[in-house]
Amino acid sequence: MTELSTLNNSKLDAYREWAATPIEGRPKFSVVIPAYNEEWRIVPTIGAIATHMSSLGHPWELIVADDGSTDTTVELVQDLGLVNLRLLIADQNGGKGSAVRRGMLAASGELVLFADADQSTPIEHIESLVQEIDAGHDVVVGSRAADGAEVANKSLARKVFSSGLSLLVRGLFRIPVSDTQCGFKLFTADAADLLFRRQLIDEFSFDLEILYLAGKFDLTTTEVPVTWIDAPGSKVDAAKVAAEFLRDLAIIRWNDLRGRYDIDNHAAPPRLIS
Amino acid sequence: MDITTEVHPGKQTSELVLHGRFDAHEADLFRAAVEQALEDGHHNIRVHLANVEFVDSTALAELVRGMKRCRELRGDLVLVSPSDPVRVILELTKLDAAFDIA
Repeated sequence: MTELSTLNNSKLDAYREWAATPIEGRPKFSVVIPAYNEEWRIVPTIGAIATHMSSLGHPWELIVADDGSTDTTVELVQDLGLVNLRLLIADQNGGKGSAVRRGMLAASGELVLFADADQSTPIEHIESLVQEIDAGHDVVVGSRAADGAEVANKSLARKVFSSGLSLLVRGLFRIPVSDTQCGFKLFTADAADLLFRRQLIDEFSFDLEILYLAGKFDLTTTEVPVTWIDAPGSKVDAAKVAAEFLRDLAIIRWNDLRGRYDIDNHAAPPRLIS
Repeated sequence: MDITTEVHPGKQTSELVLHGRFDAHEADLFRAAVEQALEDGHHNIRVHLANVEFVDSTALAELVRGMKRCRELRGDLVLVSPSDPVRVILELTKLDAAFDIA
């Protein structure tokens, strides 16, 4: 059982200690943020995540997986001077899936969360995901479609897109969640290692591939409702992504038929800056 | 996000009490509240942030804009009791040095 105690009056102190003191031993949590040209959004997100995670009373690490940013994202993150933040720099843009894979495989925590750089799902939801891990699940997905979820400012195009994807995924792939694409997912370390070593898709649909693989390898997956606030400046083009998604559905099945998921795909070691 | 404006008679100060998440979707609402205060002759504005759990970069830019507008009129925009995450965000962006924080 994971005991999470948020003590409001010590949040700031807990953050300051985390920011300045290297953790010893294995962290309880790793939080992975993929980042491509996020200079406008990433620092407030890091601030919110660092404050909350530090208040939970467990050692944790933050990993920012750059995806070949051409703006000042890398410099901004480096300049923060947070001792338990690791920055993985990519020489070129490889897609969100490639950044998440590098981050997840570099993580050393017992539980590994990946969270989008825009804080569209508030970090405070991590507690409800941890409860499901404690209940015996290997993978827990934040869901914008589950009963109890709250979604704000989502465009009509993205609503239609999400609904259509959900129907397709449930029907064709028998994935037991109603929202495969929410950028807020928690894994046990063993599940993360097994799944992300086999991930082949580097673009938007990597989430779908990961959840497909979870089913293939008999991992237990569940979802919990989350709040989701559509952040202005989203890089998701619904029409383009829908076309890629349909293509990737076929690719995933084809990869499986060819046995490509039975082999570890070790990612190239990232260039690491602590 | 909700904004409640409180005015204390005779003090020429507007108190803007914010509640919720202050992000780009709320920037227009905040700007309108600031402009209304200035129009009412209140060049000192106190922005209460105890119940704001997150500010994004657009919100930070809006706070800076409001501060500059007040100072142009020989007033100030003061941040009051920012929540812990907001205080950390202000520190990481180094904006804690730019604002008067009460």
